[in-house]
Amino acid sequence: MAELKVLFKDIDVPGIQTLEVYEQHGGYSALRKALGMTRQQVIDEVKASGLRGRGGAGFPAWIKWNGIPKDESQPHYVQCNADEGEPGTFKDRELMLRHPHQLIEGIIIAGYATLSKVGYIYIRGEYTEPARVMRRAIDEAYRAGYLGKNILGSGVDFDLYIHMGAGSYECGEESAMMSSIMGERGQPRLKFPHAPLPTIAGLWNCPTLINNVETLSCVPAIIRNGGAWYASMGTEKSTGTKIFSVSGHVNKPGNYEVEMGTPLMELLELAGGVKGKLKAVIPGGSSVPILPADKCDVNLDYESLQAAGTMLGSGGFMVLNDTVCIVKFMRRTAAFYAHESCGKCTPCREGTRWMVKIFDRILAGGGRMEDIDLLLDICDQIDGRSYCALGDAAAWPIRASIKHFRHEYEYFIKHGHSMVEAQAEHSVGGR
Amino acid sequence: MAEQELVTIEINGIELQVPKGEMIIESAKRIGVDIPFFCYHPRLGKEQAANCRMCLVEAGTKQPDGSVRMMPKPQTSCTLPASQGLVVFTDTVAIQKARRGILEFLLINHPLDCPICDRGGECPLQNNTLFYGPGVSRFVEEKRHLPKAFPISDYVVLDRERCIHCARCTRFSQEISGDAQLEFLKRGADTMVSTFQNTEFTSRFSGNTIELCPVGALTSRVYRFRARPWDMKSQKSICTRCSNGCNIWLDYRPNRLVRVLGRENEAVNEEWTCDRGKFGHEYISSDRRLLSPLVRRDNRFVTASWVEVYQLIASRIRQAVEERGAGAVGAIGGAHLSNEEAYLLQKLMRVAVGTNNIDHRLERNQVAGGDTLLARLGVPFTQTAIADIEKAKTIFIFGADLVDEQPIVFLRARKAWFRFGAKVIIAHPEPTETELRFDEPLVLRYRAGTETTLINGLSHLILQSGRAVTDGISLEELQASLSEYTPARVAQETGVAEDALREAANLLGEGTVILCAGRVRNHPEYAVLANALVNLTLLTGNGSRGNGGLNILLPEVNSHGAADMGVLPDLLPGYVPVNDREARERIERIWKASLPAEPGLSTQGMLEAAAEGKLQVLYVIGEDIAQKYHDPELAQRALENAGFVIVQDLFLTDTAQYADVVLPAASVAEKEGTFTNTERRVQRFWKAMNPPSPDVKPDLNIFAELAVYLGKPLPVFSAEQVMEEIGQVFPAYAECCYDQMPAEGVRWMPTLTDRGK
Repeated sequence: MAELKVLFKDIDVPGIQTLEVYEQHGGYSALRKALGMTRQQVIDEVKASGLRGRGGAGFPAWIKWNGIPKDESQPHYVQCNADEGEPGTFKDRELMLRHPHQLIEGIIIAGYATLSKVGYIYIRGEYTEPARVMRRAIDEAYRAGYLGKNILGSGVDFDLYIHMGAGSYECGEESAMMSSIMGERGQPRLKFPHAPLPTIAGLWNCPTLINNVETLSCVPAIIRNGGAWYASMGTEKSTGTKIFSVSGHVNKPGNYEVEMGTPLMELLELAGGVKGKLKAVIPGGSSVPILPADKCDVNLDYESLQAAGTMLGSGGFMVLNDTVCIVKFMRRTAAFYAHESCGKCTPCREGTRWMVKIFDRILAGGGRMEDIDLLLDICDQIDGRSYCALGDAAAWPIRASIKHFRHEYEYFIKHGHSMVEAQAEHSVGGR
Repeated sequence: MAEQELVTIEINGIELQVPKGEMIIESAKRIGVDIPFFCYHPRLGKEQAANCRMCLVEAGTKQPDGSVRMMPKPQTSCTLPASQGLVVFTDTVAIQKARRGILEFLLINHPLDCPICDRGGECPLQNNTLFYGPGVSRFVEEKRHLPKAFPISDYVVLDRERCIHCARCTRFSQEISGDAQLEFLKRGADTMVSTFQNTEFTSRFSGNTIELCPVGALTSRVYRFRARPWDMKSQKSICTRCSNGCNIWLDYRPNRLVRVLGRENEAVNEEWTCDRGKFGHEYISSDRRLLSPLVRRDNRFVTASWVEVYQLIASRIRQAVEERGAGAVGAIGGAHLSNEEAYLLQKLMRVAVGTNNIDHRLERNQVAGGDTLLARLGVPFTQTAIADIEKAKTIFIFGADLVDEQPIVFLRARKAWFRFGAKVIIAHPEPTETELRFDEPLVLRYRAGTETTLINGLSHLILQSGRAVTDGISLEELQASLSEYTPARVAQETGVAEDALREAANLLGEGTVILCAGRVRNHPEYAVLANALVNLTLLTGNGSRGNGGLNILLPEVNSHGAADMGVLPDLLPGYVPVNDREARERIERIWKASLPAEPGLSTQGMLEAAAEGKLQVLYVIGEDIAQKYHDPELAQRALENAGFVIVQDLFLTDTAQYADVVLPAASVAEKEGTFTNTERRVQRFWKAMNPPSPDVKPDLNIFAELAVYLGKPLPVFSAEQVMEEIGQVFPAYAECCYDQMPAEGVRWMPTLTDRGK
C-alpha cells in the first residue's frame, strides 16, 4: 500500500519546472537516447511498455504511433490532448503545472517517432496557469535547442504550439479538438469506418497522433528505462502506473499515482480514508458508471473495473459518503452534460436537456413513478445513438445510479424530498 | 479513385453488388429499402453531417468462416461506405426503436403547428413521424421558446422553434454557395441557426435553403401562406431569368403562380436555383399584365380587337414595303422567345415581309459576319458543357462577376474548386463578389481596356515555356505575332505584376475552362479580343479535346436559341450566311419562298435608321429597348422617329409607351416550347396555366396569324410542328425530338460542316 511514482517521481523537487533542474534529474536524456534510436525502435519500446491511452479509452498507445504512415509525403502532426474537462479529473493540470518538461520531452519523442514536425498542445481554456507554465517551459526548450530546427544537431525539426481551448468540454473529444484547432466549430467529426482514422487523416487531413498529457508524460521514463521496465509494473494488460485524482469525501484529496491493479480500497486509504460512511465511488470521471460501496472491493485497472461494470476512464476518482443525495447528484451530472452537449446530434442535444427537465421536476416535487423508467429509456435512446461518446457519457452515470439507487429515486418521487436529507434531519432531530 | 470497383454487400438478407465506397443509404435505394433521414443530402459537403441519427442501421462484416461480426453500435447509413462482406439490417427491432427515439427527441422541442406551417403536407418530419415515429410523446415539460417567423431577408423567414439542427442550410451556405451566411450559434439544446449578429441573409442562392430545410424553419416570404402543397399543381419549366437554363417547377393554383422550385437536372443546375430564378417569376401573375391589344388613338391607348390590330399592322407594313421597300421594316427581339417563336419570327420577316432586318442583340457587340469562335473553334459561344466545368483543372474567370452574371455556372465553377480542387484564376479590373467565394484565388487586377494585352501576354508566356500545343495553329506565326507581348511590357500596360502573370500562365494548360461574360461580349474590340482568347484556348490544348475550353456566356434565356434560329441580319437558321447562295437556296426550297440575299440591318443599324426616320415600321418583341438597349438614348430616339412602332410584350413597358400598337403576349408559364441555354442545351418547357385573359396569345400564334394577314401564311398549329421544321433547316436540331426529348434536354453538337449544308 504505497504510491508508485513514475510520473510524479521528481514532482516534489524544487524548481523541476525549470529546464536546469529538470536536466539535473535526467531531463531530456530520453530525448537524446531516442534520437540515437531508429523511429521504429522508439515505437517498439512503447509497444513493449504496454502503455495504454490515459485519456479515458485505454487504447494501446503504440498502435496509434505505428499507424502513422512511415513516409513524409504529407506533413504529420502530434496533438496533445490537454483539454482536461472530465469532472473529477485534475491530473493533467498537475503534470503541466509542476512537471512541464516531462510532457514536452514526451511530445518531442512522439514527434520524432511519427515523423511529425509540428505538435499542438490543446490546453483547456480554464487552465491559464498551467498554460503559462507550459509556455515558459516551451520557450526554455527552444532556447536549449530541444525544440525548433535541427534538435540537438540530429537534423530533426520539431515545433510545438499551445492552442488554448475556449471552455468547451466537447473539445476534449479528439475529433472535436481537431475541428477546434483548425478553427472550426468545436464539434466532433466522422470516425472510422465512416472516415479514415486520425493517424491517416487528422489535422488538415494529414496523419495525426493524438495522445493525452499523461500518456505522453509516460514516454520519457519508458525510453530511459525501457519498455520492459514499464511493463513490469501493473497487471498484465494494464501496465505501469496511473494517476488518480481523488476528490470528494476523503480526508486528503489530491492526485495519487499508484500501480495499475492497486485495490480500490487502498487508494481510499492513501487519500486519508473516507470522511463518514462510504456510499459510492465514481472511479474514472463523471462519465463512468457509479460503483456503490458494496461493490468497491475491486482492483484499479482497465479490465477489473470493466468487469465491475464501470471504467477506469480518466482516473477522476470521486468519493461519495452517505450524506450525498444520489438524485440531486445525478441532476447535477445531467445538467453538466446538457450544458456541454455541442448540439450536433439529435439524441445528445435533445435527450440530455430532457433529462435535466425531468430531474428538475422530480426535485421540485413533481415527479411521477414512470419518470424513472422514462429516464432509463432516454438513456437507452442516447447511448450508442449519439454522434460521439459525449452522449454515451451522459447516459451511463444516470443509468447506473438508477440501477444501484433506485430506492432513492422512488423515495424522492413519492415524498417530494430527498431520502438522504430526510434521514439526516431525522437523526439530528432525534438526538 | 478507381472507378466502379464492385463489392458484394447484404442488406436485410438481400445480396447485392454496389460500387465500393457507396454510402449504404444509397445502396438501400437500389433494392427499394427505405431508410429515413433528415440531414443527409448527397450534394452537400465533402462528407455528410450524420447529425440527425435518423438513418441508423445495424451493420456487421462477414468473417472468413461465414459468421457475421456485428458492430457494437448502430451506424449511420449516410456515412457507412460499402465494403466487401458488409452486412446491414435496416429494420430490426432495435432500429425501429432507435428511429422512434430520434423522432421523439426531435419532436420534444418542435412546435406542433403543422396546420399553420408552410411545410405541412410536404414535410419530411411529418412524413417520417407518420411512418416511423411514436404516436404519442412522453414529453410533459415545457417546450423551447424562440422567436417565430423571424424575417432574415426579403425572401426568407426563420422560425427557430421549428429547426431540427440538421445543418443542411448552414452546409449549403458554406459549401455550395460559399457565402457562409448561415451558422449555428450557441450549443446543445440552445443551438440556433443565425446569420452574423442577425444581420440580413444576403445570398444569391438563399432560396435553396428553403427547399433544403426538412421542416418549416426556413420558409419563403414570397410563398408564405399562399397555398397548401395539396391544393396546387406543378408543371415542369425552364427559368427565364438568365441563359443558364435552370430546370424549375412552376407551382400554381388556377391562374396564379404561387412559387418556383428547383427541378433536378444533373447536366444543368443539379437541383439548385438562384434567387433571381426562384423569386423572380412573380411577374407572371402580376396585376399589371396586358390583357388585350392596345392601339394609340389621340395619344392615348385604347383597347382593340386582334382583327383590328392585325389589319392595322398588315396595312402599315404593306404600305412601308410598297413605298420604301422591305428594308423599311425591321424587327428587334428574340432572346426571350422560345426557339420555335424565334424561328417563326425570322421566317415571318424574311418570307412574309421580305427583309433581313432582324436582330435579337441589345448589346454593343453586333459584329456582322461569322463569329470568331464559330470560324476557329466550330462553336458559336461555348465549348464546355456546364456539367463538365467541375472536371476542369483550372478555372479562368475572365472579366466576369460570375456569381452575378451566370449564377449556376458559378456554382459549378465553385464546385470544381471546392469539391475537386481545381485552381482558380480571376481576372477583373475591379474587385468582384465572385472573388470572395473562393479561398485565395489568383487575382489578376488588370486595367480596364487592356484585356487583349493581358490575354496575349499569357499566350506569349505559354509559348515561351514550350508547353504550347499545336492544335490547328502555327506556333511559329503566333510566336512572331505575339513577340512584342513580353511579360515586362504586359505587366506595365495591364498593371498586373509579372510574377502573377507567370503564375497564371503556369496554371493555364490542358483542362483549363475559360469563362467570360458581359465584359468580353461588350468589349469595344470584341473580334480582336475573341481572337486572342481563341489563340490561348488552342495553344493550351483545349481547342478540340478534353474538358477545357473557351466559353463566352450569354445574357438572356434564349440568346443562344435566337442566334441558332437565325434571328440575325446576316445569318439564316443554323448560322447560314444569307449571301451564301447555295446554302440559302437549300432553305428556300424547304420554305418554298425566295429570300432576300443581302444582309439586313443589325439592331444598331435599325435603331440608327429609325432615329433618322428611315425605318417605317419597327417591330419590337419582348425587349424593353428604351431601357435595356446598351445605348438607351438611341433606342428612345429611334422609337420616337420610327414611322410605326409595334410592341409585343407582357407589360406596358417603357418601350411600349412609344408604340402605336401594343400586342399582349403570353408568359412562359402560359405556353410551351424549347429554349437553348448558354451551353447549347435545348430544353422543353410546358404550359402550366391559361393566360390571364383570352386576348393574351403566345408569340407563336401572333407570328403565325400576322403572316396570314400579310398574305403569306406560315401554316403552323403547334410548337412541335415548328421544331420539326427547324430540324430540317438546321440539322443539328434534328435530334431534339420535341415530344421525346430526354429529361436532361439535348445539347446540340456543332460541326463546321453544318455550315451551308
